[in-house]
Amino acid sequence: MSESNTLYLLIATLLIPVASAGIAFVVKEKYGWLIPVVSSLLLLSAAVIILFPLLADGQQTETYATTWLSIGTTSVQVGILSSPVTRLMAAVVLVVSTMVHIFSIGYVVHEKNTDRYFGFLGVFTFAMLGLVYSSNLLVTFCFWELVGFCSYRLIAHKQYKPAASRAATKAFLITKAGDVAFLIGLLLLWIQTGTLELPTLTTGATASTLAGICIFIGVVGKSAQFPLFNWLPDAMQGPTPVSALIHAATMVAAGIFVLVQLAPVFTPETLWLITGVGVTSALMAAVGAWLATDIKKILAYSTISQLGFMLMALGLGEISGAFAHLLHHAFFKAGLFLSAGAIIHSLHQATHHQPDFDVQDIRNLGGLRKQMPLTFAGFAVCAAALAGIPATTGYLSKEMILTTVHQQNLWWLEFAVWVIVFATPLYIFRLLWFTFLKPAAHTLHIQEAPWVMRIPVLVLAAGSVTFLVYKGQLQSFATQMLQLQISVPAWIMVGSVVVTSMALLVGWLRRNARIRQREFIIQNFLDEWNAQLILLTTFVARLANVFDRKWIDGSIHALAYSKVALAHMVGWADKNIVDGTVSGITHITRGLGGVARSVVNGKIQSYLLWAIAGLLIFIIWMLY
Amino acid sequence: MPYLSLLIFVPVLAALIALVIPTRYTRAFPWLTLAATVLQLFIFIAMATHFNPADGLQLSEKKSWISVSLSNWGHLQADYFVAVDGLSFPLVGLSVVIMLIATISSWSVSKSRKGYFILLLILNAAIIGSFCALDFLLFYVFFEFMLLPMFFLIGIWGGPKREYASIKFFLYTLLGSIFILIVMVGLYLSVQPPESSNQVHTFNVLHMQNQENFIPGSVLDATGSGTWRLWAFAILFIGFAIKLPAVPFHTWLPDAHVEAPTAISVILAALLLKIGGYGILRFVYPVFPDGAVYFSDWVAGIGVVSIIYGALNALASKDLKRLIAYSSVSHMGFVLLGIASATTEGIAGAVYQMVSHGIISAMLFLIAGVLYDRTNDRLIENYSGLALPMKHYTAFVLIAFFASLGLPGFSGFIGEVLIFFGAFQSHTLNNLVPFWMPLVATLGLLLGAGYYLWTIQRMFFGPFAIKTMHTELNDLTPREYSMLLPLAILAFLFGILPQLLLNYINPFAENFIGLWFSLGLNANP
Repeated sequence: MSESNTLYLLIATLLIPVASAGIAFVVKEKYGWLIPVVSSLLLLSAAVIILFPLLADGQQTETYATTWLSIGTTSVQVGILSSPVTRLMAAVVLVVSTMVHIFSIGYVVHEKNTDRYFGFLGVFTFAMLGLVYSSNLLVTFCFWELVGFCSYRLIAHKQYKPAASRAATKAFLITKAGDVAFLIGLLLLWIQTGTLELPTLTTGATASTLAGICIFIGVVGKSAQFPLFNWLPDAMQGPTPVSALIHAATMVAAGIFVLVQLAPVFTPETLWLITGVGVTSALMAAVGAWLATDIKKILAYSTISQLGFMLMALGLGEISGAFAHLLHHAFFKAGLFLSAGAIIHSLHQATHHQPDFDVQDIRNLGGLRKQMPLTFAGFAVCAAALAGIPATTGYLSKEMILTTVHQQNLWWLEFAVWVIVFATPLYIFRLLWFTFLKPAAHTLHIQEAPWVMRIPVLVLAAGSVTFLVYKGQLQSFATQMLQLQISVPAWIMVGSVVVTSMALLVGWLRRNARIRQREFIIQNFLDEWNAQLILLTTFVARLANVFDRKWIDGSIHALAYSKVALAHMVGWADKNIVDGTVSGITHITRGLGGVARSVVNGKIQSYLLWAIAGLLIFIIWMLY
Repeated sequence: MPYLSLLIFVPVLAALIALVIPTRYTRAFPWLTLAATVLQLFIFIAMATHFNPADGLQLSEKKSWISVSLSNWGHLQADYFVAVDGLSFPLVGLSVVIMLIATISSWSVSKSRKGYFILLLILNAAIIGSFCALDFLLFYVFFEFMLLPMFFLIGIWGGPKREYASIKFFLYTLLGSIFILIVMVGLYLSVQPPESSNQVHTFNVLHMQNQENFIPGSVLDATGSGTWRLWAFAILFIGFAIKLPAVPFHTWLPDAHVEAPTAISVILAALLLKIGGYGILRFVYPVFPDGAVYFSDWVAGIGVVSIIYGALNALASKDLKRLIAYSSVSHMGFVLLGIASATTEGIAGAVYQMVSHGIISAMLFLIAGVLYDRTNDRLIENYSGLALPMKHYTAFVLIAFFASLGLPGFSGFIGEVLIFFGAFQSHTLNNLVPFWMPLVATLGLLLGAGYYLWTIQRMFFGPFAIKTMHTELNDLTPREYSMLLPLAILAFLFGILPQLLLNYINPFAENFIGLWFSLGLNANP
């Protein structure tokens, strides 16, 4: 495909979500029903358009840029970097976003404020694509902040709910803490290397460890990694399709995506930190997923765990494996979330929003396999991909990462990774069991979700299955596009299958064990710590306020009073001591005292005269 | 065409016309003022077509103003000298737009309209005059003419504690202007025009900026011992820092803002504070570059303290308007940080931040005014869930708050990024700002997000309730729309197309830094 055509098509994919958002915001409330349909069709067209450059351009890399900001010797280009990586990522973003849009037609059908909902979904999709395409890191950062804002607004979609607005604030503030570090890192990198253009940076530049760590802190916040992860489980207050798009498939993966592009620039120290944080988060969040009972929170912890897994791979240099896993994860996790959304939707219909029946608590669910067979099928495939069962996409990328980990020859890392491989099937099987397979604990009449909600789940599930290519090799859409050569030692293949089977077996044996309500200490600890930090900040703020009133204002008042007192004293001296002695001098003194008094008391009409007189006296005095 | 004189004297003319209109025609005064400000907008647009950023100071008008022979004491000479460059041009444009919006906002004023609008027009002329004047005495006159209308506008048309607030405002700024006066006289006595004979002095700022024009042996002689020059720098800096306002000279601001009527708050935040930053960039730094180098970490330090201290105070504010006022202190601290870095990016960022803050703070105060007009109550804790009855209002609140906390896509972000770039770079480039200072300043970004989000959460989200009263709340009226929408568009436009503004600012910033390099003052690692 010719270069300009690629450019136009990529720009079209950027603008279509904007158009969708614009329509959503502009259309009158009376025609509100139009918004979901039109938005979904627009997004679908964008998803189709992106396929052309994706399929036609192969491994070509091209940058189209123009100056956005220039000052002195510094300039920033706004541009589109069209590489296999960005095209593929954009395609995944658009496909998932389209599926979420279509799903939302059914999900928000009885809700108010669909304009705001679809509007911000459109803005989010635009911002996410901008983040992916951008050829300059400062522009990337702009979109990075913008996706955070959309996330904030969509978490607080049900803004009348205090919990939702609290969760939104928390999410924004914690990610903002990371973003500030990210910005510092970018500025340091900019000053050190003189540029933030990605194509230039990736050919030979090195970020200092300090800059690298600062950038990485931004990623930790955005991708909800230890210790800045505790906003993500709360963010599940947002509508479920939003969680699928933003808090599972795309925005939280943005940090990984930026590192996929930047990893070659980092020093080994930074990379080790990335690995360490990744492993910690992956292990910790797996525990969190095991302890949680809310279906969405389980999936949220699972997301944290998987993102940590990718970070670990990135830190070890397994960039293509991490990226492939990111793309695979986007599909199967979005599928899982949308299935959960379908379940929640159907149960709300069945229970008529009874307040005492928590439809998201997996202990209340069960038996949905019969009542929602297609959703079950979709969920099961996506869960299999998450667990890394052969013939799914998750299996492929997991094997790649396992191979790299093994090459490191570090027993603790290897051990940690196998624990993750064991834990993931365990918690996802339990979720599957409690929602679909276990005999129902209730006697509700539940109907399968409408078609607009089933199809997206099935599409995402279909994307999570591998296929055979001509050399008899299993490939996924991602590995095929990236033309990855996957060579995995046989024992790792066998080992991972064995470990996964063992996990499933344990899960099966313990299937009837009751789930007790247990707290996840790390989450609680961090929440508590955040609360203390906020208390401390507000305390310091109040202290500053008191200081402002008592000391700064106080000293000003003292000064004013002393001036008034001085004026009175001059007046007194004037009357009692000087008066009658030298009447001429007295007159002048009284005049001065009067001026001082009148200034202090606010009679300032004479001020201008006074100032000019002062000026003249001063000039004459100085000249003399 | 004498564009600048037209800009300055159109409101003066309108004020004279207003003076002869009988007081009972109360509807005439706002319309007259509106006509004058719209005319100014057209004049500005016409002027913009003749303005070429690369040319430096231009559109200048110079006429002899005061010329008094003082026999053997020499010759007192002051000129009516106005011109604009890349620094003042954006600020003049900002003034024209803000004055127009303030006029629309003043429509609801009912108490003695004649006096109000005449004072508003005088204020208008004085502000634009201050931004254009290049003769120090002329600047000083304009500067003083700004204070009196402001004093009365707060003291007569303000809130319950207006008298305290207005006197405090006046005394503070009076102190500032006395400081400026002292240094101005010192400069007058120390500088002479290049080609003239002895005993002739000048108020011309351009001459003051050239170190060769200082009379050898005079008080502020550039080649002398320099102690007096450092004092002069410090005093002049404080004079403008009060206006900015920088901590600890800021406490007039929250009181003045809280008591001032909406339109006056808007002018105060959007324009009057900018005189402080403008003065530092036009007078303090170019005239005393040696002092600027000597005091650079103090300037940056005051900036950082303002950023953090202002943000903390905003966080503790219970009154919406007070919160916005303290956020202004915080945001103007960035201007100081940028200036102190003495890098092209830092200087340009400071100017950008001033224009951006002008737009965004105007929006913020209008927003506070919208609510106050409806309920006469600004306490944050008394509201909850305002998003429900006031959907459009909430949309503008979100835009203004997020623009102010530096969300990319709005102008505030560009200014802050450039300032931080300059401040971080300064450490390696000229060693004027220590590395930890911008690092600490970034905390201000986080605190900013904190107080705005908390306010949104408490006032706009959650279930709808107003503690003190049970009235229906109407959403924005067309008049309020007409004020908020243009500002939102400007903030957005300057956020996504920074070059629109940087094309004007860049030549100034490069020139400014070039002057420094030519003095060899930057090279002290």
